[in-house]
Amino acid sequence: MDFALNEEQTLFQNQTRQFLESKGDLTIPRSYMEGKEEVLEELWKGLGDLGYMGITISEEYGGLGLGDLTLVPILEEMGRVVVPGPYPETVAFAVPLLQAYGTEAQKQKYLPSIAEGKRKVTLAVLEASGELAPSEVQLQAKVSGDEYVLQGTKILVPHGDIADTLIVPVRTGGTNSEYGISLVIVDADQVTLDTKKQISMDETRKMVQVTFNEVRVPKAQLLGPENAGWGILQSGLIHLNAALTSTMVGGMDRVVEMSTEYAKTREQFGQPIGRFQAIKHRIVDMKLDMDSARSLSYYASWAVENKTDDMVEAVALARSFSSEAYLDIAGKNIQNHGGMGFTWEFDCHFFLKRARALENHLGSPESFRETAAVEMGWNGKKALV
Amino acid sequence: MDFSYTAKEEAFRNELRTWLQDNLPEGWLDGTFEYPEEENERAAFLRDWQRKLSEGRWAGISWPEQYGGRGATLVEEVIFEQEMAKVKAPPIINTIGTAMVGPTLLQIGTDYQKETYVPKILNGDEIWCQGYSEPSAGSDLAAIQTRAVKQGDKWIINGQKVWTSFAHLADKCFLLARTENTGKKHEGITAFLIDMHQPGVEVRPIHQINDAYDFNEVFLNDAVAYEADVVGEVGDGWRVGLILLSHERVGVAKQTFRLQKLFDELADMAKTLEKNGRPLIEDQIVRQKLVGFRAKTRALLLNYYRHLTDTIRNGRPGPEGSLDKLASSELGQQMLAFGVSIQGANGQLWKEDAPVNANWQKDWLRSFAYTIEGGTSEIQRNIVGERILKLPKDIKH
Repeated sequence: MDFALNEEQTLFQNQTRQFLESKGDLTIPRSYMEGKEEVLEELWKGLGDLGYMGITISEEYGGLGLGDLTLVPILEEMGRVVVPGPYPETVAFAVPLLQAYGTEAQKQKYLPSIAEGKRKVTLAVLEASGELAPSEVQLQAKVSGDEYVLQGTKILVPHGDIADTLIVPVRTGGTNSEYGISLVIVDADQVTLDTKKQISMDETRKMVQVTFNEVRVPKAQLLGPENAGWGILQSGLIHLNAALTSTMVGGMDRVVEMSTEYAKTREQFGQPIGRFQAIKHRIVDMKLDMDSARSLSYYASWAVENKTDDMVEAVALARSFSSEAYLDIAGKNIQNHGGMGFTWEFDCHFFLKRARALENHLGSPESFRETAAVEMGWNGKKALV
Repeated sequence: MDFSYTAKEEAFRNELRTWLQDNLPEGWLDGTFEYPEEENERAAFLRDWQRKLSEGRWAGISWPEQYGGRGATLVEEVIFEQEMAKVKAPPIINTIGTAMVGPTLLQIGTDYQKETYVPKILNGDEIWCQGYSEPSAGSDLAAIQTRAVKQGDKWIINGQKVWTSFAHLADKCFLLARTENTGKKHEGITAFLIDMHQPGVEVRPIHQINDAYDFNEVFLNDAVAYEADVVGEVGDGWRVGLILLSHERVGVAKQTFRLQKLFDELADMAKTLEKNGRPLIEDQIVRQKLVGFRAKTRALLLNYYRHLTDTIRNGRPGPEGSLDKLASSELGQQMLAFGVSIQGANGQLWKEDAPVNANWQKDWLRSFAYTIEGGTSEIQRNIVGERILKLPKDIKH
């Protein structure tokens, strides 16, 4: 029985914190919001140099060959600084899918360049409704010779404007069912994509509408078998949701720290406000939520790394709990900071907006709880409304 | 990160499981066992269970082998609580003796105290209680006013204790009393071992909101303690009292495992009860709430394991136990409240008329004490805020 990060994972955590502090800590998202998009490029290159892009990539493709758990401390640190960029999508979605389903040529082409920090990958899955469901995948892929011709629009694509590669669920068959969905890998420099930034409250996580207008992609860019993409997508989303949860835990950790530090220094009525139980007890409740989110998230990533029977339930519980708790305590952090917390200049709003951005992204807390219910054998689909 | 148990730990678990199968009262495991309603019969039943545990060497498992224990590791203690929770084993009537008084005497007691008291704690011949709280000293425990005055080789004790578990059944009490008034609250307190069967000790059970009597008032009217029954130094009782509490090595393990079981019972009930002719578990609101509880019970357990890992690494428990206590007590209240709530209008009925199982109503009412006993939630939040987050200390006098 040992439920803690190991020495190597702790080392990664310390190194990531040092690296992000050297890059300016919370001035990273602020600069990015102010239009200095080069901070993302610098960050990405730095992470590549440190070897963090290849943590889960096997050694033969230039990575370290470690498991999902090793990503946890790194993702938490990134969440603490609300960093911009599709890191979770790249290392915890594209990488596991390419390793599990990619052809040798695809692996050769993508994995080493990801490991070197030279390739950002994102996931373009949502369409008009913003809901993740088979019926919502309507982007058409018609076969033309040895190519697919893509026609349709994806929305809420994280950093879809600067990603080098997009993994795109498309419809190669069927109409509304799981059958007929395929995953296609699209390289931005090989085609012309019509991208339009969507105005998101969280300006550190750019949301982009990507329109595919007669975009031709070689059939060799198919990831996994044709028409079986929905299942493959789910297997990738397990990793991604575990990873997104870790970034939320990091944000929660920072929010508790901010409130604690502020409560020690801010004085009213001649006392540090942290002496008052109304403040102290609220921060304790925030910490308890953060600890619970962290434990659920550790366990979820452990379950994913070890492919346990309860892996899906573990991720669903962690994700649903963290989505709600992060939003809640990010709001309480503003209350603890009083009027200062309401200003643009203070950093409190970064966390609130990131929490809101992630809350319903790729599934609402309710939908994750339903997933968990079904996993526990509470016969799904028949639920009363 | 490793959630597996060693072969030795698994062997320990199997030995305990087998023993429980063979020794739990007839009908306990299949739910047909009926708890004795009458107070004396119930006490006799609990003493009998205590004796069985002792004979099987399952009382005081963390005690050194030379004193009749098993020298159990922390993880083995946790496994013990896990297995006991799984079968909802009867309460351990001498838990204060085996878990706290015994180990404290072994640590700092005199040879006389070790010889006189320790063997009878383990074999269950003498049941212990713990005299800490007083009417004017609840959360502010150091404010105790019970006085002990030296007369020859005796100490004469006057005052009142309250919320004393097991006092109505106990033979002995580990008692804190004030022996000196220096003006500083934490000074001048002394720890005594006293006999409960003496004229100067009167026990009155407290009638609780759940119509049960778990706690008592203890009136001390010229009660006597002998010089040889002072634990540690005279005036050093605050520290001795803390040593006693430090022997609660596994924190809220019992409650944490009980809540895992309670979640299963809650889900099972929701599968059985119906609404509009369909199982309640198919109702979206019930279903969502239940999975929310599932996440919280899992988080409680996993937080507990993380803190246990810290305890193993550091060699002693830290203030994180307060987080577990806080979370488990509040979650227990929430789940029991929900359990009664989903029983609908009939949920207001209890005892023989309870719609599902009388335990739901009884335990729901009992749960209002969870956040008061063993340190209120307010005190736990202060401990976490001040000792873990290092926030400024509360205003105290």
